[in-house]
Amino acid sequence: MDFVGVMKNAVSGLGLAPDAAMVTFPIGMFLPGSDITPVRARKREFYDGLTRWQSTFARNAAGAATMLSVEGASHEDALNKANNLLITNLWGDGLPLWPATRERVDWTLRGAALPRTHVIGKFPPRGGVTTVETCAVALAMAGGRPEYLPVLIAAVEAFLDTESGSDQLQATSGGPFPVVIVNGPIAKEIRLNSGFGCLGPDPQRPAGASIGRALRLLQQNVGGALPGIGTMAIFGAMRYTNAVFAEDEAALPQGWRPHATERHGYAPGTNSVSLVFASGVTNVQRRGAKKETPEEDVLNGMWRMADFMRTPNLAALQGYEKGTPGIMMISPVVAKMMAEQGWTQSSIRQFLWENSKIPLAQLKRAGAPAWFEIDANPVTRESIKLDPWPIARKPENIVLVVAGGDHPTHYYWLQAHSPRVVGRVMRVPESFDRLLADADRDLGCGSDACLI
Amino acid sequence: MVTLEFYDPSGTLEVTQQHAPRLASLEGRRIGFVSNEQWQAYRMLPMLKEMLEADFPGVEVLPVDTFPQGNALIGNEETAALVKNSGVDAVIIANAA
Repeated sequence: MDFVGVMKNAVSGLGLAPDAAMVTFPIGMFLPGSDITPVRARKREFYDGLTRWQSTFARNAAGAATMLSVEGASHEDALNKANNLLITNLWGDGLPLWPATRERVDWTLRGAALPRTHVIGKFPPRGGVTTVETCAVALAMAGGRPEYLPVLIAAVEAFLDTESGSDQLQATSGGPFPVVIVNGPIAKEIRLNSGFGCLGPDPQRPAGASIGRALRLLQQNVGGALPGIGTMAIFGAMRYTNAVFAEDEAALPQGWRPHATERHGYAPGTNSVSLVFASGVTNVQRRGAKKETPEEDVLNGMWRMADFMRTPNLAALQGYEKGTPGIMMISPVVAKMMAEQGWTQSSIRQFLWENSKIPLAQLKRAGAPAWFEIDANPVTRESIKLDPWPIARKPENIVLVVAGGDHPTHYYWLQAHSPRVVGRVMRVPESFDRLLADADRDLGCGSDACLI
Repeated sequence: MVTLEFYDPSGTLEVTQQHAPRLASLEGRRIGFVSNEQWQAYRMLPMLKEMLEADFPGVEVLPVDTFPQGNALIGNEETAALVKNSGVDAVIIANAA
C-alpha cells in the first residue's frame, strides 16, 4: 500500500513543496485486529520526523510549461519514442497518445475564447497550475479537435470549483469519475453523442471520447491522480474517457425542460456543462415482456428503477443535501411514452424519491449509522432520524436526463458520489463557425446528418 | 533523423509556503495529535503518546482527542486555528490508508 503519493499531492495542493515527514507501513497494519508493534519498532522515525526531517524538493517548479524532445530514425520511430517517454514518465493511459507538439497545441487553441496563459485554477489535489494552454495540451494528447476545447474548459472550471468536492474525490478509494452532461446547440455542432451508445465510443459523434480522455489526463498528470499512488480508487471504472455526453434536447417531450435549465437555471439554448461525480453505471431493464398495458409497462419500469435505487451502499451520503444520489437516463422513446401518460419530470422524481427510501432497520443491518455519524454535513448526520431514509434530501436532487438510443428496453442509472452538481456556461471564440466548417471539411458530412 | 518536440503535460507547481521548521529537541515540548479516528488510530496514537513520554523528559503529549477528530473536521480552518492557538510545538497527523 502506498499512500505517499496521496499525501504528497495533498501537501502540494496547499502550496507547500510536494513532500512531508511521513512514517509509512503496509496496509495490513491499518486493518482491525492488526499487529501494531512495528510502530514501536520504528519510533525513531517518528521522532526524526519532528526534529530532523527536511524536504528533498529543492526546486520551485512554477513557471512556463517545459518542452520535451525525442529523436527517431523516422517519424514513426519518433512517435513511438514519444509515447514511450510519456508512459515512462507516468503521463499516459495505456492507449496511444498524440504528442502535444507546438503546432498541434496551437491548432487546438483556436477553440479558446480566453488567452492561452489564462489561469483556470489549481488542479486538486496536487495543485498543478491549470491554464487554457494546459487544457489544450491534454486535449491535443487525447486526439481532440479545437471545437471541443470550450466543452473541456467549462468542464475543468466546474471540476475545479471547490464545491464539487474534487479535491477529495480525486483521491478517494471509491473511484468516482466525472460525468459531464452538455446542454445547448454546441453538442450537435461538435458531434457530441446524445443517442445510441452515448456513454461509449462513436465514430460518427466522436467528441465525448477525447474530451473525457483529456479531462482524465488532466486529473492524472496535473492533478496527481495516478492509480495506487495519487488516487486510491480501488477499481477505477470509466477512467479512460470518463463520461461526456449531451442531453437529447430535441427529444424532450412538451413541457419538459433541459437538464441545465432545471438544475442550474440556464436559459434553454445556452451552451453549458453540468458536472456530477459518479461511482457506478448500471443498466436497469425496464420494459415489459408480454401483454402489459402502456400504463403497466411504465409503472413496472419505474418500480424496477426505484427498487434498484433503494440500496444501503452509502453512495448517496455525499450528495444527500445539495448534490445528487445519481443520474437517471431516460431514452427519448420512453420519455415520450411517459409524458403521454401524464408523467412529468417532477412526478418521476417524486415517485423515485418516495419509493427508494430505505428502512432504518436495513441501514442498521448494513452498519450504515456509523457513516452518518462521521459525515461532515450536519444535515446528513441528522437525516438518520428519518425512517425510512430518503436517499436525497429532496426529490429535486435526483438528476433526470433524456439521452440514449431511441429504444424502450432500458433505463440507465449513474450512481453518484457527488456533493454538488456544478454547472458552467461555455464560452466559444468568435471564429467558432470557422472551426465547425473545418470539422465538416475534415470529417465529412457534418452534424447529425452524418450516417455512414 | 526526425526530432519531435512536445509539451510536458504535467503543468507547473507553485510553492507558496514553506514547511514548518523542525524542533531542535523533543524534550520539554508540547506535542498534539490530529486524528481522523480511522485505520487503527485509536490504538496507534496512544502507543505513540506513551513512547514519547517515556523517551523524552518533560515532554507533554496532549490526549488524542484534544482536537476535533474525524475526516470531516481535521482539515477545516477551525481545527487549524484550535491547534495553532493551543500553543503546541508540533502535531502528528494520522492515519491515512
